[in-house]
Amino acid sequence: MSLNWIKSAALAGAAVAVLASAAQAQNIRVTVAEYSSLTGPYFQDAAAAFEEANPGTSVDIEVVPWDVLLQKLTTDISGGVNADLSIIGTRWLIDFVSEGIAAPLDEFMDDELTSRFIPAFLEPSIMDGQTYGLPIAASARAMYYNTELFEQAGITEVPDTWEELKAAAEAIGALGDDIYGFGMQGNEIETDVYFYYAFWSQGGELLNEDGTSGLDSEAGYAAAALYKSLIDEGLTQPGVTSYSREDVQNLFKQGRVGMMITAPFLSNQIRDEVPDLGYGVAAIPAGPNGDRGTYGVTDSIIMFENSQNKETAAEFLDFIFTHDWRVRFTDGEGFLPVLASVAEDSAFADDPDLSAFTALLPDARFAPVIPGWEEIASITSDALQNIYLGEVEIEPALNQAAERINAILD
Amino acid sequence: MNRSVLTNPYVLIAPGFFLAAFIILWPLYELGTIAMSDVNRFGQIRGYAGFDNFLSVFRDPEFLGALARTGVWTLGIVFGAILIGLPVAMILNEDFYGRSVARVIVMLPWAISLTMTAIVWRWALNGESGLLNSGLRTIGVIDTNVQWLAQAATAFPMQIMIGILVTIPFTITIFLGGLSSIPDDLYEAAKLEGANGWQIFREITLPLLKPFINIAVVMNTIYVFNSFPIIWATTQGGPANSTDILVTYLYKLGFRFGRLGDASALSIMMFALLLVFTIIYVRLAMRGDDK
Repeated sequence: MSLNWIKSAALAGAAVAVLASAAQAQNIRVTVAEYSSLTGPYFQDAAAAFEEANPGTSVDIEVVPWDVLLQKLTTDISGGVNADLSIIGTRWLIDFVSEGIAAPLDEFMDDELTSRFIPAFLEPSIMDGQTYGLPIAASARAMYYNTELFEQAGITEVPDTWEELKAAAEAIGALGDDIYGFGMQGNEIETDVYFYYAFWSQGGELLNEDGTSGLDSEAGYAAAALYKSLIDEGLTQPGVTSYSREDVQNLFKQGRVGMMITAPFLSNQIRDEVPDLGYGVAAIPAGPNGDRGTYGVTDSIIMFENSQNKETAAEFLDFIFTHDWRVRFTDGEGFLPVLASVAEDSAFADDPDLSAFTALLPDARFAPVIPGWEEIASITSDALQNIYLGEVEIEPALNQAAERINAILD
Repeated sequence: MNRSVLTNPYVLIAPGFFLAAFIILWPLYELGTIAMSDVNRFGQIRGYAGFDNFLSVFRDPEFLGALARTGVWTLGIVFGAILIGLPVAMILNEDFYGRSVARVIVMLPWAISLTMTAIVWRWALNGESGLLNSGLRTIGVIDTNVQWLAQAATAFPMQIMIGILVTIPFTITIFLGGLSSIPDDLYEAAKLEGANGWQIFREITLPLLKPFINIAVVMNTIYVFNSFPIIWATTQGGPANSTDILVTYLYKLGFRFGRLGDASALSIMMFALLLVFTIIYVRLAMRGDDK
């Protein structure tokens, strides 16, 4: 008898769940990454405005911290309970496309929508001629320098090559025991990227033409030797392998490092936290042959193949990629404009920091479109940390890392 | 005497069994399925793989290092917490002025989330602006800043120390319960016979506390073996995986690298390891009690 009772309770519960989902046929769920404290309210407001403009629809926003976004998506997808739309790192997109999880958006996109975007930012989301995502956030990297420290050290020219950067770092480091010339990231996410700035300027490429890793090259050895010499000569902060990007940014905000390379959002943080800090933004230094490269990153918003409300989801995409909503997003988060009309908006076109970043875009390289990129990045970071710590020789460490990467690429 | 069906022991344990099955056995079954399958990076099953995932974990160069470190980590924290917890519990068991305040203070770290504790320590251990360095410099122990989290040689011992610190409150709670169950007249009799403090501790306190020490060992081992936040919040297993233990390595396998088949296989191995340890330890401990 008690079993029957449990059975009927379970059935009733299931019935309620079915009814609830049927009642909200025009409901879409959107998973968004939390870039800052403004992200959640921004999307909530956008959802409310969309619901008002489209009676009968409802939009649920799920805000997820960036660090656990991939974890949440993985568990959601494996359980079949993913949302209709989600923000993802564009470097993950190939995995989503090759497993048939992301839906092509072309049937929902007309030329007018396509033409709103700056082509360079839409490009990474296009695979095999199909658009699988729209760039929701875009960023590049440039060198921040502390003008007060430059002045005290008597540096008049902003370093344009790594040679000049080294000389400037020496002059700044001599200012005091607690002041360091060049802020170096050596821990956590993008430790590998911090190395690529030097690697690209030496003429290196992440992938050789035959599709193998480019780490075990002269450019790789030279870039690692350059960073190692900066560390060994005390031109960086000590203990680089304990410094994540945020830790180095904190040192910069405290006025204790002369130069560092990071993304445009540092400008917003300085504006909010240390408005008196004198700083400038310049290009990433060039190598001996004038090569230079910055890292371009986009995040895409994708639609899931198993979405039951693709039409509504597409309308919501169209809605958030309109001028006013993008202005508010771009301004709040400190990213680069992805819409051409936003880039022309005076709030961004006249901003000297953002101009420095957009000027670098022709040199921007995006993470290569290959499956397993996160693991490759991790192998590279591990090798670099061992080099920075002085536990291994540069050449064998990079050769070994390249060998492991090639095994993944095969 | 006719027993009602409702008092049949199997019926009586059924609700508990079903609850445990729902929470433990069902996920275990799902994990087993994934571990034996060829799965994509989103956990969708693509085919049968046999023991390939298990072999792939064993072939991973990071696996054995993480396994050995897990051993050091677990032993270090479990025995560290007992070594410090036992004398503290004995002091707190004495009657002194302000004892209840002292007890609250010792228990307080328990009230704070583990992740928050770890993040506070990450700040304290920061090489340039950390509290620990500035404190040590003020009292003259060090002249130059130590970069605590920059290499495993300093980071891992620090992480174990944080682990001991947060494990102590729970350990002391168990010991206090044990100490209060020892009758006072045993101590009085021992004193009348002229036993000194050490003898009292060795002959009375320690033997009578043994079952409680066993509980502390088993429960702390299970908890510490699977403890993720301290290492993740301070170093994320870095630099270069040199502070990874099995759980942090598992997280990277599953959610960074998308090797969910390997991650499931590793989870099952960890479960088996812990289960075998617990069974062996409990049997050993019980055999001792029977004598």
